[in-house]
Amino acid sequence: MSEGVKVEERMSFFRTYVFSIDHKMIAKQYLAIGLFWAIVGGLLAYLLRWQLAYPDTEAPGWGFIGPEFYNMLVTMHGTIMVFFVAMPILLGAFGNFLIPLMVGARDMAFPRLNMLSVWTLALSSLVLLISFFVPGGAASAGWTGYPPLSAKPIYTGVNWGLNLWILALALEFASFLMGGVNFLTTPINLRALGLSMFRLPLLIWMQMTAAILFMLSVGPLIAGAVMLLLDRVAGTSFYLPEGGGDPILWQHLFWFFGHPEVYVILMPGLGIVLEIFPVFSRKPIFGYRPIIYSTIAAAILSFTVWAHHQFISGMDPRLAMPFSITTIIISVPFALMVFAMIATLWGGSISFPTPMLFALGTLAIFLIGGLTGIFNGSAPVDIYIHDTYFVVAHFHYTLFSALFFAGFAGLYFWFPKMFGRMMNEALGKLHFWLTFLLFNAIFIPMFLLGAGGMMRRIANPMQYEFLQPLQPLNAFATIATIFLLLAQLPFVVNFFWSLFAGKVAERNPWHANTLEWSAPSPPPHGNFDTVPVVYRGPYEYSHPSVSEEWLPQDRPTMPTATA
Amino acid sequence: MARERVHPNYVGVWLWLVALLIASVGVTTLPVPTGVALFLIFGMAVVKAVLVALNYMHLKFEHLLIYAMAIVPLVIFFVLWLVLYPDIALH
Amino acid sequence: MAQTHVVATGAEARVASGIATGKMGVWWFLASEIVLFGGLIGAFVMSRLGSGGWSEMAAHLSVPIGTINTFVLLTSSLTMVLAFAAADKGDQRGIRTWLLLTVLLGLTFLIIKGFEWRSEIGAGFTPMASNFWSFYYTMTGLHGLHVLAGVVINFLLFLSALMGLLRGREHRVELAGLYWHFVDVVWIFLFPLLYLSWSKGGH
Repeated sequence: MSEGVKVEERMSFFRTYVFSIDHKMIAKQYLAIGLFWAIVGGLLAYLLRWQLAYPDTEAPGWGFIGPEFYNMLVTMHGTIMVFFVAMPILLGAFGNFLIPLMVGARDMAFPRLNMLSVWTLALSSLVLLISFFVPGGAASAGWTGYPPLSAKPIYTGVNWGLNLWILALALEFASFLMGGVNFLTTPINLRALGLSMFRLPLLIWMQMTAAILFMLSVGPLIAGAVMLLLDRVAGTSFYLPEGGGDPILWQHLFWFFGHPEVYVILMPGLGIVLEIFPVFSRKPIFGYRPIIYSTIAAAILSFTVWAHHQFISGMDPRLAMPFSITTIIISVPFALMVFAMIATLWGGSISFPTPMLFALGTLAIFLIGGLTGIFNGSAPVDIYIHDTYFVVAHFHYTLFSALFFAGFAGLYFWFPKMFGRMMNEALGKLHFWLTFLLFNAIFIPMFLLGAGGMMRRIANPMQYEFLQPLQPLNAFATIATIFLLLAQLPFVVNFFWSLFAGKVAERNPWHANTLEWSAPSPPPHGNFDTVPVVYRGPYEYSHPSVSEEWLPQDRPTMPTATA
Repeated sequence: MARERVHPNYVGVWLWLVALLIASVGVTTLPVPTGVALFLIFGMAVVKAVLVALNYMHLKFEHLLIYAMAIVPLVIFFVLWLVLYPDIALH
Repeated sequence: MAQTHVVATGAEARVASGIATGKMGVWWFLASEIVLFGGLIGAFVMSRLGSGGWSEMAAHLSVPIGTINTFVLLTSSLTMVLAFAAADKGDQRGIRTWLLLTVLLGLTFLIIKGFEWRSEIGAGFTPMASNFWSFYYTMTGLHGLHVLAGVVINFLLFLSALMGLLRGREHRVELAGLYWHFVDVVWIFLFPLLYLSWSKGGH
């Protein structure tokens, strides 16, 4: 081979599967961590929903759930889903797997830093797991950890659980900061010849934007978390009013990060959908550059909207209007992206394998989530619906679409590339339809519950007379939750069965254009037989110059015959 | 890899840094109004920081992208400062 | 199952942007650190403004010691960049000398800070004494941790230089330098914020 490729010695089991510096193995490690915590998070959801539907009864398979335990369930469900499922799967797994492949590189820019990042997440996971078993139990001050409740152990009755929660989050932040360095440096510097920035797949743009958002927003929260830990263990009063501190300071530091964080989760999900739509519509992306500019605009705006989470916190009321305005404005770039996605489908030759179904599901669910966000973003309306189940429904529509629908879309789509085998279509379709229907069954009632005034984070709705008539909605949502969890079984069976007995996948089973489909399935160390050279953009589907419906980025241009 | 790197006068920059340090401390002994003193002290701090960034960190000779990586975060946390002001500073 | 490991070298190590990959990586990291310290310092500044200035408490900080420590850190920045200049020329002995000086100056900074803390705590100014002191220890502590990390990195580089391992990898001195200068810049702002903003009393 004439490219200066150096081959090193054969590696041990440990170097291949445990201490690997190969981005594909690291991606699978992130995926494993994310899927483990998804199971835990799902079980926590089952328990908390049981308590809401049938308060202070024994949950089947578990036992009695009281108010304090409920607080822990809600806290850990949120923390786990955001930080230990969404980020590891959408960024850690898909980002790590796809970025080097899609840019035509042999690995990430800093492979050893990459390995350190996943091991830091593993350590963080261990700390969080331990927090369940310490005296006092795991954290129970909400995933947002507002002081004073979170600042003094005596208020929650939870001591080490919350301290370990802070520590686990700090480690998680460190892990993704390290990952972020790779996610940004690799597409900028290690692109193949001919791959200009505006020939990059949109997923890469989305991953890069997510990485920048994370890296530039997490700092103040790290500072704030150090201060919270000191309040808890060192007797300081950063957030305690009796010591001269201010609880609202925490809220600002938290949400300054917290809002960009939701786009850190959303962007990679949208990136997955944007890759899948052209493949199964046999059409180029509509509005490639406008989508990129919208992404950048949304990213910039995301740093200016955070206090819409604090409209009724007691913060300075003069802040309400500017933040309402910025929040309404940020819906514009996302609306543009949604229109572009629809326009991409329009007039296309659409097929509906499982990845496409989940991608379409993402769009539908995200649309509802985004529209209901507008209600929340307007301060006068938010005064009524803040801290009600309307908000819970809104963010589950947006987050679930980005994490679960887009995540499953990505898993079904890239499974052949990652594992060299095809997944079963029938099970996949069953999984999709059950998930789609049951998800809506759970969360549409919550819009009604929220509009009816049901508050968040209460352990027993039956205690409130005005909520008692709404209780059937709670029961309905809980039953749907149980079925939704069961509906994931087709996926679990499909995933593991296909790993070992699925049909062997060819290089490009979906007939797609991007560079990862030029590599073997699965790619070996070093990814490509020869490093690709790129001749065109990623979405040349149904191109007039070729008879096939797809035209890979790295296929050399044929000399054209003059007309 | 041969590199034609320009090296500014590092010792010269250091002399400026030390001079500005002494001047900042000196300002605190002068009988000037508080606002003026703070303006001078932090103004000098900014000059020192810029000197270190441009010369020791070679920002003067770097690609625009690196400039952006240094400046955009500054803008971002200033947005945070702006919003913290009414809530925290004005209690 | 053992697998062969393929590594890309030479012509494969393209740098599409024209910026060295290692340098870009370090700057991305520094960008996140800028927001970290910016957020912490912002919380301090706003809390100070909202609490009447904390002048009486800040008066207990020793301006002479702070000034000396600032001088130590500024000088360590000089020695660090001189190490980089030596690295650029391939001057191995220069690299070792200047790196060692940087390490020693960094340690000096930490030792002086340690003595400061000890005397302040001894006088009853613990982190719990008031919000000013809470912020003081948090900010100088977080900064001190960064200094310590830098000292460790520079010391490891010094050891590599001693063992001749830096030949062909001298760019690592520049990367370590970027981090070290950043830590210096943070202190350039912490010093006046903590030590100088109250010397006139009653701000």
